[in-house]
Amino acid sequence: MTPPKPHRILLDRVSVYADEAAAFMRRRRVARRPFARLYYPHGRSADHAEDSRSGAELFVAAGRLIEVAGKRGKG
Amino acid sequence: MTTVVIQEARARDMVGIFTQMPDASTAAPSSGESAEAALAFLAEMSPDLRGAAILGPEGEVLAATGEEPGRWREDAAALFAAADAAEGVPVEQVHIATEQGEVFAIRNAGLAAISVTDRFALASLMLFDMRSTLRQLAQGGK
Repeated sequence: MTPPKPHRILLDRVSVYADEAAAFMRRRRVARRPFARLYYPHGRSADHAEDSRSGAELFVAAGRLIEVAGKRGKG
Repeated sequence: MTTVVIQEARARDMVGIFTQMPDASTAAPSSGESAEAALAFLAEMSPDLRGAAILGPEGEVLAATGEEPGRWREDAAALFAAADAAEGVPVEQVHIATEQGEVFAIRNAGLAAISVTDRFALASLMLFDMRSTLRQLAQGGK
């Protein structure tokens, strides 16, 4: 039996990585829930749940900005 | 209407919120023209972008997409006020992901930028682009 051609191995490998990346993105879309994350100086960050007081205020403010930006159109 | 009055009062009181910049440096005066160019560049780099605004040290809108710069000013002030109030410390960056879209806000070099994107935008790239846009703008738009 002849071994597979080198370029064939490379193509298979690339398509495996592409499949993995696509699956990762699918899982990410399904699993990701709304969140509010604040970043402070020196790299510290904090998440605020939607049902907390601070989180609710952040989501309201974000909702208004999304409304201002509209659906699409960059100008 | 009462709600309108309250919103106006909030926006008026929160103008100074933009002076609480964590970054020690202050921005060089940026012209509206260079801010417009910076915003156009940001939009070009970010395919997920729906709308954005660049704000000056006092919260004034230097450039914004759409036709409601006044609303960008008010709503950005409200966002930063809520973010700063969360822990009583001025924030550097904000990322809020909702079902309707994602909001990014960043303060850098005495300026602030707000972006609204489609869902699942790459946060690190978006914040990097916004930060570098503000930095360049603060350096005189070079």
